[in-house]
Amino acid sequence: MQTNPLEILAYCLSRTINDNEIVYVGTGLPLVGALLAKATHAPNSTLVYESGAQDPLFEGKMPWSVACPWTYYKAPIILDMPNSFGQCAAGYVDLGFLGGAQIDKYGNVNTTLIGTYEEPKVRLTGSGGGNDLASLSDRSVLVGLQTKEKFPEKVDFITSPGFLNGGDEREKLDLFGQGPWRVITQLGVYGFDDETKRMKAISLHPGITKDIVDMCTGFEIIISDDITETEMPDETTINILRNKVDPFGVFTKMPL
Amino acid sequence: MEKNVFKMPDKQANETERDYHIRTSRNRLVDTNSWREVHFKKSRNRINKCMSLKEAVQEFVIDGDIISDTGFSWVRGCTQAFFEMIRQEKRELTLMGAPIGVGGIPIGGGIIGYMHNSYTGAEMRGIDKMFHRSIKEKKVEPLSEWSHGAQALGFKAAQMGVPYLASKVMLGSDMVKHNPYVKISSHAFKDEPEKDMVCLIPALYPDIVFIHVQKADKYGNAMIWGPVVNDIALSVASRKVVITCEELVSEDEIRNNTSGNSIPFMYVDAVVEMPFGNVPGSVPGYYYWHRQWWEQGVRIAFQSDENFNKFLDYWVFSCRDHYDFVDKLGGGIREIVKRNKLTKVAEGLNDIGVIDYDYKEVNSEQYPYWRYPWEESYEQEINRQTETLLRLKNLEEFEQSQNNKGGII
Repeated sequence: MQTNPLEILAYCLSRTINDNEIVYVGTGLPLVGALLAKATHAPNSTLVYESGAQDPLFEGKMPWSVACPWTYYKAPIILDMPNSFGQCAAGYVDLGFLGGAQIDKYGNVNTTLIGTYEEPKVRLTGSGGGNDLASLSDRSVLVGLQTKEKFPEKVDFITSPGFLNGGDEREKLDLFGQGPWRVITQLGVYGFDDETKRMKAISLHPGITKDIVDMCTGFEIIISDDITETEMPDETTINILRNKVDPFGVFTKMPL
Repeated sequence: MEKNVFKMPDKQANETERDYHIRTSRNRLVDTNSWREVHFKKSRNRINKCMSLKEAVQEFVIDGDIISDTGFSWVRGCTQAFFEMIRQEKRELTLMGAPIGVGGIPIGGGIIGYMHNSYTGAEMRGIDKMFHRSIKEKKVEPLSEWSHGAQALGFKAAQMGVPYLASKVMLGSDMVKHNPYVKISSHAFKDEPEKDMVCLIPALYPDIVFIHVQKADKYGNAMIWGPVVNDIALSVASRKVVITCEELVSEDEIRNNTSGNSIPFMYVDAVVEMPFGNVPGSVPGYYYWHRQWWEQGVRIAFQSDENFNKFLDYWVFSCRDHYDFVDKLGGGIREIVKRNKLTKVAEGLNDIGVIDYDYKEVNSEQYPYWRYPWEESYEQEINRQTETLLRLKNLEEFEQSQNNKGGII
């Protein structure tokens, strides 16, 4: 079945969620992934939002923003902001999603600026809840479009800490949680080396080779010779995604 | 900048009150003494605090104040208060908040001089181009970088009356290098230096907040439902608090309430009755946001000063208040009914069926002026706008001649 890259991304994101987990979501593709997981292999997972909403019901509408009515649709309770992050610190969040303008080889994420602080080329949004999730939730999944610029050797500004400069640097700070666990892009699914904490490929999407990955990355991603191909969604899953999860194609239809 | 922001500088002999207020805004953010002092000066009595938004902005917003955004982005925010500040040409304000949802509007409106940023953006539509340009062109000076959680904890600390809180957020990030307020420290109760680090976040005290709520009484007792985000904390953390409400209700209704979060009257300086007062944003239970309007703003108006000035002329300077704004948005009552229905369905309070929430992106053809589908031409819209301006001018003169301060309709 024909699938577009956004659908594949959504599918890969959904596979990072296990059943019975609490997932902290924003909006955009991670939300689609979480909803798809809930509609397929992880029906008992619970979504929580930065708006503080716990376990809203889902009726086919995509929230525009993390405080949109659909993020708290029939939610039994809505926490205030410090308690919402407190929930992550308290061990009631298994998984958080992070997007970023830049992701580096140690999984550090930049959403603050491109350039230097004094002379920024592009001023981005700032941390929002990204830093809090990266610091507090048990494991985080990074998602981004993979290009040389967006995957540099070192991010211009560490907004959300991954493994900092690798090795045991993150451990030394005693941040909560394991740190970045997966990176999902249009090319593949990556994890991090246990020792060095460098980004390493877990699987590449069909048709993607090491050369393509190298061309789209500002550093070397460790890719073993026997790298597997990313599992693709079957027809049933795609039908659920298109008809039930994102029926209007808000986040999974390719822009024209 | 003073090296230690925690030390309140003395006023210099030749310095005006206004200059001193602006210069010390970065110190006031964490100055507990002046924060308490302001609170002690507030009336302890239950007095009628009703006034118009115009009067509240006139009386309570001073050049150089630190203002925090409220609500979450366009949900229960304070966009109309920003509009009024732009109309009254307030200057050199410091903008903060977790998040800053529609930062481009006050920034582009020229009222902001400084920022304590945690998030200023357009969510699923990406970066806030006005914010980006203003920082790049150094029209706005960023004073500090925060995560949402850190700034939220700062407000929480103020609410709880503690000097600071220790957290794991912001550790290892570059934000701490660009934030003179937070401090990385080792865990005070463990005898292992350089291990188990924490980030100390001081109580944060903005000067003023405008909190839009669903219901309030004339004394300022206020009720919020839906996401409260930081607003309950901010009502204590802030020196001055203006409540704007959808409905001004009797004290009984508040006293009999068994649900919802509330702000007690003593924190509140002014109450403004503003039905439909958070347009073009949304209010849980009342109305849905105007996504197309917002998108026109972030995608088109924020792109250049030229675009934004037209946008301001149309939406801010040629509107006396939010009633005029609603008229322009979609013809008054039409707009109200539609938005109300949209939100009731979106929140599951009504099951009238499928409503098209229209995810189509706003394109540039709709710019520069808002055009209703039933309007024939661009010229017609220009004429209408000119008429509106004339009408407003006449009305203003009339109001002045009657010595009418303008008030609640």
